[in-house]
Amino acid sequence: MNLPHNPFAQADGKKPTCMEMLQVIIDGEATDEQQEYFKSHMDRCLPCFKSYDLDMAIKRLLKSRCCGGDAPADLVEQIKLQIGQNTAG
Amino acid sequence: MEEIVTRQNYSEKEKNDIFNNEFLPHINSMYNFGFRLTLDRDDAKDLVQDTYLKAYRFIESFQKGTNAKAWLFRILKNSFINDYRKKTKEPSKVDYQEVETYYNSEDVNRQITPDLRVESLKDMIGDEISNALNSLDVDFRTVIILCDLEGFKYEEMAKILDIPIGTVRSRLHRARNLLKEKLSEYAKSMGYKNTES
Ligand SMILES: [Zn+2]
Repeated sequence: MNLPHNPFAQADGKKPTCMEMLQVIIDGEATDEQQEYFKSHMDRCLPCFKSYDLDMAIKRLLKSRCCGGDAPADLVEQIKLQIGQNTAG
Repeated sequence: MEEIVTRQNYSEKEKNDIFNNEFLPHINSMYNFGFRLTLDRDDAKDLVQDTYLKAYRFIESFQKGTNAKAWLFRILKNSFINDYRKKTKEPSKVDYQEVETYYNSEDVNRQITPDLRVESLKDMIGDEISNALNSLDVDFRTVIILCDLEGFKYEEMAKILDIPIGTVRSRLHRARNLLKEKLSEYAKSMGYKNTES
């Protein structure tokens, strides 16, 4: 057993691909152990190193450009009226 | 996959408190979700309104203090599928079997879009990313909205969408590759424009 344990390995022992590991990292679903492992993996894997920056940039761009916009001003009032809530209170 | 729900017994005051303090604060996220699904402001408004009315009607199956946002998103998603999608007769174009096969094949290690670079994203200050997202099939769009825009965890997404976590991952993976393909196209056309001028 010389190989270091891969904390991304599935229960069935299946070896995870770079993309599978990267996704877990990008989405903040990784455990501390997985993060440590991936950090050292990135040092020797150029595709992961490049994809990491790109994926994070896309995620940030999505959040900043696609989230804006408030609901129409009268929407809450209309909903409250329909459920019969006293809007004056 | 129906969850076992313990019905709560709320007083009228409690109901209104939950509605105002736990449900209504999510109205902007809900509206954005509705808009991204229907791609129409009026339809989004109807969908959100309908969702809140349902949430009020079913409030006793909501447990106070639990994840109201995920609960509301799930109702909205179901309303969209059952009411809206049926009306507009837009069938699901995604063959999930195909997606799973794709994901499990050897191809996944291949770099799909080698020409998309972080630098080219910096030029996308307009509606490019929004248009790229909107152009995706609704099921792919949905996972990106839930994950990247709203920050839901895989487990929450699985509950909202009634699919296993493995499917959440694979659909997200496929969705992102499609989005990158779109963005590459934009980057390319912007590059052409820049060299012309
Ligand atoms: Zn790698």
